[in-house]
Amino acid sequence: MTEARIHDRGYLAYDGPRHGPGRAMVVLSYHTAQRVLGLKRSNWQKVMPAIALLVAFVPAIVFIGLAALLPASSDFELGDPAGYYVPISFVLFLFTSFVTPEALCTDRRSGMLGLYLASPLNRDTYLASKFVAVIAVLGVMTIGPTLLMLIAFTLDGSGPDGAIDWLIEFGRVLASGLAMAAFWGSLALAISSLSPRRTLASVAIFVSLLVSAAVGDGLAQGAELGDSFALLNMVALPIETVYRIYGEVNPDGPPIRHVETLPILFTFLGLIVVFGWFARWRYQRIEVTG
Amino acid sequence: MSDIVISARGVQKSYGSNHVLQGLDCEVGRGITGLLGPNGAGKSTFMGLVLGLRPRQGGTLNVLGVDPDQSGPELRARLGYAPEHHDLPDDVQAADLVRHIAQLHGLPRRAATERASDALWQVGLGEERFRPIGTMSTGQRQRVKMAQAIAHDPDLLLLDEPTDGLDPVQRDDMLALIRRVGSEFGIDILLSSHLLEEVERVCDSVVILANGVVGHSGTLDGLGSATSGVKVELDSDPQPLATALAARGAQATIDGHILTVTGVDEIGDLVRDLVADLGLGLRRLEPRRTTLEDVFIEASR
Repeated sequence: MTEARIHDRGYLAYDGPRHGPGRAMVVLSYHTAQRVLGLKRSNWQKVMPAIALLVAFVPAIVFIGLAALLPASSDFELGDPAGYYVPISFVLFLFTSFVTPEALCTDRRSGMLGLYLASPLNRDTYLASKFVAVIAVLGVMTIGPTLLMLIAFTLDGSGPDGAIDWLIEFGRVLASGLAMAAFWGSLALAISSLSPRRTLASVAIFVSLLVSAAVGDGLAQGAELGDSFALLNMVALPIETVYRIYGEVNPDGPPIRHVETLPILFTFLGLIVVFGWFARWRYQRIEVTG
Repeated sequence: MSDIVISARGVQKSYGSNHVLQGLDCEVGRGITGLLGPNGAGKSTFMGLVLGLRPRQGGTLNVLGVDPDQSGPELRARLGYAPEHHDLPDDVQAADLVRHIAQLHGLPRRAATERASDALWQVGLGEERFRPIGTMSTGQRQRVKMAQAIAHDPDLLLLDEPTDGLDPVQRDDMLALIRRVGSEFGIDILLSSHLLEEVERVCDSVVILANGVVGHSGTLDGLGSATSGVKVELDSDPQPLATALAARGAQATIDGHILTVTGVDEIGDLVRDLVADLGLGLRRLEPRRTTLEDVFIEASR
């Protein structure tokens, strides 16, 4: 008997289940996170994210290694978790400048924005998905290492004493990491919304951060106009915010360390809102047909 | 499903002082409908309103039974859209892109993967589906756009200038594919174009936009049979005949040796008699059939 096979099934209607806009947001966030990390892209696109992740985690791994190798009776200090963000802030700075614009700029340049907005997503859910994706990627670097250290030191017996202290420390780790990721992420999205060109957005983010640091510290310290001007320093602001979450002050930090906690938190949250509002305002005005 | 896919009544849309749509009225039925109009007529704006991407400023619009302004996300899950531009992400494989868009339209990952593969086979890119889009020709990119628009099995497909940038062979292939999607796949299509010949070849009906309103809408079947006036071809200068016709109240336009005559009753007899009286050589005398071009020009005035 001859075996018969149907190779062309023709066009088939789809009668299966369909998810709603919420699922579309998850799909877009996941896809964006993959692209930002360089997954399913050329090896060259993976270099920067890989280096950033490596640099973010190496100090934590070194700390954990030292704690494991040194005898328990040694004077080795784990260091303050807030201080961990100082050495890795430079890599966060570079990652935000040169990698996160991929989340928005490429969609406009490649025409994908039109396809996304022709799906169950709208402009707000599109931006929200992008924001979640960027926070998730940055969060790996801002939460991951300190969380790893907390778990490792807890297992080593040198973590916080008692369940309550541990939960407080855990909350601080999450809050600090999320705060850092939200600040850098919203800044990146706001500036990326200005141009479909990724390189232009990268340079704009890089320059605006440098300029804000120079202007803020220059006015506060150089011109001696008052410590409040140090709040303009968008590089120091998130780091100092993390210190305040831990109830500390950055001992060796820039002039912003002299500012009270409330203005710091207010400015920090206010800037995130402004950055988010600006990105939304820009995207409400972008035409995607014709 | 209702026989009316899109219903618009008094739809208005402005951008600042630019009134793009000024009370647009039309009904788009099942099958393939051409949305014709010169550049700037408001075709893309109308498509944007149908997709619910922009709120209208007046009138009512009903697409597949719902208002795009009120139920945009739910409506767009049932729509497929292929934009005019050729840009797509260069470093993404065609199959990945089509699957991704199908997932965004609500299909579970496994179903999206299967249907992406099927859709790419249907548009003739089965063997090429794992190629990065950046390595594809303009014609292949147009097919990828078509595949992503049909993979989630939409009820209505919106195609914006789908043959833009294609060479004649690719254009023929794309028009054949559109015809197939509209007939075999059973998906209703709204095809935006400024090329009359394309619309005549694949569409069942047409909506012509001009200056922000509908200049004409109807089926294409009725066009060829409608007559108004005659066409006269002479073997010499037609100016004397045109002058004689004008003296009897007819309007005659000259195109080389061909006269198009309208405006009076019994026009065929009148032309015959005048040609004989003037001693002209008559090559052809036939009823003038209204073409889509005639309708388009009339509607665009």
